[in-house]
Amino acid sequence: MKLIQRDGESFLFHISKREKGLLLEVLKLYPLIPIAHHRVSRTTAAPPVAESQKLLESALADRTRENKRQLLAMLTRESRRQEADGGHRLKFTAPQMEWLLQVLNDIRVGSWIILGEPDEKKAKSIELNDENARYYAAMEFCGLIQMTLLDAFQQSD
Amino acid sequence: MVPTFQRAMQSGCRPLAEIEIRAVLEYFPGMAETVEPVVMPDIEKEEQTGAESELDPGYLVICWDDPVNLMAYVTHVFQVVFGWPKPKAEFHMLQVHNQGKSVLTRESMERAEHYVHQLHSYSLHATMERDA
Repeated sequence: MKLIQRDGESFLFHISKREKGLLLEVLKLYPLIPIAHHRVSRTTAAPPVAESQKLLESALADRTRENKRQLLAMLTRESRRQEADGGHRLKFTAPQMEWLLQVLNDIRVGSWIILGEPDEKKAKSIELNDENARYYAAMEFCGLIQMTLLDAFQQSD
Repeated sequence: MVPTFQRAMQSGCRPLAEIEIRAVLEYFPGMAETVEPVVMPDIEKEEQTGAESELDPGYLVICWDDPVNLMAYVTHVFQVVFGWPKPKAEFHMLQVHNQGKSVLTRESMERAEHYVHQLHSYSLHATMERDA
């Protein structure tokens, strides 16, 4: 996937047929992070923080629902789009790019959690097996697409 | 106006034409230097009713390191959520990466909640802690 053209807040990408198929499959994994994974505070569960935690979980649930709705619309739209020049054109506005970054990162971080939160600094490596291998692939693929989107934000018109 | 005058001279016009044009220019000396009225923005100073620490104990919004979020992504999120320029966002991202955490801002409880919600929507590991 690569940026073809940026016109202000509008971004046009070329994506190969294989990449697009993979992207649509990976996006179906959303959401992967359990809402309870996010903690509003590390230090206390005192009443103000407990209320904040409830508020956070409610806000994240709303956000997830909205992201899911947009995602389904995009998957339906893109699956109908015809092939052109050996691939497809994907057009996003800046807010859609932000939304896609959030969705991709949810899948990336969620996959990392499923893989046992591997950490090179702590010498905690991934133990791949038949069941979790697809999450490793999803984590890496999401990272790749995220970098493409982030690079596009850096490109001038 | 000047190019028109030059064309008139080249086409053999009498010197009178030059006089006429100069007269017109002298008659409207300020036309090329029209000064637009300057409207100064209204600046309202917020009234302070006491030191910030007296009103609210304050909450620190902290971002914690994890081995999964991409450095470029974290920088981008800081830019979007806080409206920071890239160098400042990168400074805090590197602090998270090298020191394990970075205090991003100190805010009232409501504002801190807002920022933590924003950072969590991007799946960053962020918390709010009461400022000691």
